Amino acid sequence: MTIRFASAALVLFFAATIAFFSVSAPRFATASTVENLMSSFSFVAILAMGQAFPLLVRGIDLSIGAIVGLVGMVVFDLSLIFQVPGWIILPAALLVGTAAGALNGALVVCLRLQPFIATLATLAAYRGLTYAVSGRQLVPGLTTTPIRDPWIVGIETYLDVGRWTGLSTFVNMPWLPLSFVIMLGVFVVLQAALSSTRFGRDVYATGGNHEAARLAGIPIGTVTVCAYSISGFCAAIAALIMVARFTTATEALGTGMELSSIAAAVIGGVSLAGGVGAMFGPAVGAFLLGTILIGLTLQGVPQFVQQIITGAILLAAVGYDRLLWLRRERRPAAGAGPA
Amino acid sequence: MTTDRSKGRRDFLKAVAIGSTAVAGAAAGMFGTPGLPATGFGVTRARAEGTRYRMAFIQWQPHTVPAAWSKGIEEVLTPQQVIDYELLDGQNKVEVQVSLMDTLISQGASVIFLQPIDSVALAPSIAKAKRAGISVITLNIDATEPHASHVEMNHYYGAMDIAKAMGDAMGGKGKVAILNAPPGIIIRDQRTNGFVEGMKQHHPGIQIVADQVADWDRKKAQDVLNTILAANPDLGGAYGVNDSMALGAVDVAKEKGLLGKFVVFGNDGETAALESIEAGELTGTQYTDVYQQGRLAAAAATVLATGGVEAGAFAQQSRLLMPYVIATKANAGSIQPSQRW
Repeated sequence: MTIRFASAALVLFFAATIAFFSVSAPRFATASTVENLMSSFSFVAILAMGQAFPLLVRGIDLSIGAIVGLVGMVVFDLSLIFQVPGWIILPAALLVGTAAGALNGALVVCLRLQPFIATLATLAAYRGLTYAVSGRQLVPGLTTTPIRDPWIVGIETYLDVGRWTGLSTFVNMPWLPLSFVIMLGVFVVLQAALSSTRFGRDVYATGGNHEAARLAGIPIGTVTVCAYSISGFCAAIAALIMVARFTTATEALGTGMELSSIAAAVIGGVSLAGGVGAMFGPAVGAFLLGTILIGLTLQGVPQFVQQIITGAILLAAVGYDRLLWLRRERRPAAGAGPA
Repeated sequence: MTTDRSKGRRDFLKAVAIGSTAVAGAAAGMFGTPGLPATGFGVTRARAEGTRYRMAFIQWQPHTVPAAWSKGIEEVLTPQQVIDYELLDGQNKVEVQVSLMDTLISQGASVIFLQPIDSVALAPSIAKAKRAGISVITLNIDATEPHASHVEMNHYYGAMDIAKAMGDAMGGKGKVAILNAPPGIIIRDQRTNGFVEGMKQHHPGIQIVADQVADWDRKKAQDVLNTILAANPDLGGAYGVNDSMALGAVDVAKEKGLLGKFVVFGNDGETAALESIEAGELTGTQYTDVYQQGRLAAAAATVLATGGVEAGAFAQQSRLLMPYVIATKANAGSIQPSQRW
């Protein structure tokens, strides 16, 4: 019930934000802005959904941006140095991302490291590894060579949905980026996994109360490793979308994305205390942040003001999360009191 | 190499011609022609019709160089009263620059000034801007997608001349270290390769014993140089690929009592570096009038926007290499306060 209320509040806030900028920002309510929003923030939404899994098991993945960088460089090397065909690169990239995420989970579970510390360490390690394997350093001439493999750059395709549906004869429709369709696919699969499978229930139980979950026979170690693996998998998908968009990868690809993904997830109602949240919120949270950034840029608001506003929204979301947590804490106490 | 250099000189002369034409064109628009009706293209007509043009500069990240470019750009655009200009921060992230490009394209900007973080990564966005009829002018870092114009500091040949001046100051022998930028940036490669090639050509007796990353940063450069000096106590000089790192090397030289004996060269020519040269601390730097670089870009932009020149109308991208001087104590004083940034 609480999640539904939070989702409704988020959707209302998102709608109000769009309405505000449609009226106040010049050229905001246009097909090209919608297209820009979808293509620029679909990968942020995927990262936010991936980040939600470690958060749901009461962890955090600070290395998610570094995994994006590592996967991007693997794609760069395989494509430009080793000339590996794209249909092999795609699964290889997903495998690298998932393995990097699984290693995070293993560090948390096997070495019993604090998730913050474990993923902070791998953030540095994965970024360093990215530099170490960088084809841009090994073969300097490749810095000005774009990736042209159709399997990879084909991800940056736009679909003329308006023409297919006939709607473009009535209204100027945005072209639908394939990255947005991929984001929708990731959303459907992950939400189904969370709400309709035993794994999903185990994720909520592990995040809600580790000890109770363990006593109930839930393999919290396996669940935790899987949660971090999903985060790494999502980072790999985001990396593929970014490489397709830029036709290259840089060593700094994904830098700072950990903060964007955490912000979008928390704004989307995923609790930092674990056990609360769904996929819808982080996805909407990412597009909400995108809407605000684009709207304010169109209004000519300086970027430092944009950052302050984004920070304020994040603070409000964390405050709201804390309020809900306090309410949840009080509820059983009230129930346990004398009738 | 000589052929490359001659070609570079030819390109430079060609670029100066293009730049002069742009400035002349902009000036014509800027001042208008008294007595003539407000017809045809140009700033005069735009002003008469109340047409506004939107231009923006997407910088890499806040730094003295893009700030000075932006000031130069504003100096040309503001007085024309028909152009809305803003400086946007790419936050050192390719994805942010690409998103800002998309936003400016949706906004219908007339011209976008761009300091791309990566030559390839911004190419699709530049192509998209061209399709939307928006001219793109790159500053310092070129893009692989041809566009309206590129205006850059002369990184490679400037670094060669720095090597020559540095070797001269060291008497043609000794050991030097390079305090470098992080890898993966074209400017770094040009400024490093030019320096290495310059040493090979002019002072083969000088040995480059270290090439360490100091992140463009003064403090980091101090730490890095201290480590290099521990391993090479007979080091005779350091070359910072930007002035901040060179000034970090000056700090170390001061601390160790090496001032006057340790040769330090920087690159860019910012005010702090020129003042350090005049104080007898920094040996020299490559100075470029960055305000002028911004003004040239803005002048070209004005012609493109108000002259109705379409973004796709170029058979070949124009390229302007900025003139430079190797500033040392002998000539730094001739750089006027208004040219210091």
